Amino acid sequence: MNKCTNKEVAFFGKITAGITHEMKNVLAIIRESSGLMGDIISISPEAIVKHQEKIQNSMVRIKDQIERGIGLTDRLNKFAHSTDETLSKIDLREAIEQLVTLAQRFARLKHVVLKTMTPDHEGPPVTLVTRHVQLQMALFASLECCFTVLSAGGEINVGIRKLEGKNVVNVVCKGDLPGQSEFVRNISESENWPALQEIAACLEGSAKLDETAHGIVLSFPDEIRR
Amino acid sequence: MEGMKILLVDDEEEFVKTLSERIEIRGLKADVALSGEQALKAMDENLPDVIVLDLKMPGMDGMEILRRTKKAHPEIQVVMLTGHGSEKDENEARRLGVFEYLHKPVDLESLLRTVTNAYKNKFKSSMVAVSFA
Repeated sequence: MNKCTNKEVAFFGKITAGITHEMKNVLAIIRESSGLMGDIISISPEAIVKHQEKIQNSMVRIKDQIERGIGLTDRLNKFAHSTDETLSKIDLREAIEQLVTLAQRFARLKHVVLKTMTPDHEGPPVTLVTRHVQLQMALFASLECCFTVLSAGGEINVGIRKLEGKNVVNVVCKGDLPGQSEFVRNISESENWPALQEIAACLEGSAKLDETAHGIVLSFPDEIRR
Repeated sequence: MEGMKILLVDDEEEFVKTLSERIEIRGLKADVALSGEQALKAMDENLPDVIVLDLKMPGMDGMEILRRTKKAHPEIQVVMLTGHGSEKDENEARRLGVFEYLHKPVDLESLLRTVTNAYKNKFKSSMVAVSFA
């Protein structure tokens, strides 16, 4: 297995471990909520009336968790299918939305809010022909770089725009941040920064620091050479 | 096991609160903490006998709470209950003195059997400490 494949495998492992961990929580809540209903029903017929509110709350919880589980498996399924083709035509906006959802748990563990600057489904599609897996790796590596400089309560906003024929992704940090020079030093010394550079180059794009905005600017061509 | 004090620590609020309700239906008392920081605060106010602890939480994680708990109160028994399946973490938790390492979702009766055994172990450990004193 070459170095690049090893990194892809590690990336897939990290994302799937995070999502399946969430799925276990979904199943645990469903198990306990249905268990609570079972407990009440087994006490006595009177208990069902007495604890009607608890039963109703449990039913709402189960319904909500099923929706959460469907959302997670849908994202995980799309993520798994990103390996179907080496090169594919993708909507960058959708790819960002997908990655931001997959990375929510990692942001939450850092007490950081992660969101897209443009709400879902807004704006025209930004299509590019690229390596989908590596594109996701680049986006995730940029988020991991930001995690290293953000403290609890911070925020990461991810947005896209077209600039001089390039597709530009802005990953901007907000919150209690170090000064510009320290921000640059911390990110460029983080272990994810060289990896991000490498992936961006593999996508025939670039990853640069924007110290004024406290962010990372990723740039990708419309179509990469085959 | 009347009088046994259980502390449930998990950032999945709906999970931990429902679990607490089910435990209380069985006549036991289970307090809830939604973060590592809350767990340490709860321990300052009222020392539990057994802690059921999630591993991956925002802020202070379960491994750090286990480390601090075992250092300050080695008699407190800790049961790790996690959706995180890493063998490395399980080995580290065992090295730090976790009583048992369980995976979510767990059957409640099985969890309570483990918690009860942990509670019994607390007193067994105390008796050994006294006999050596």
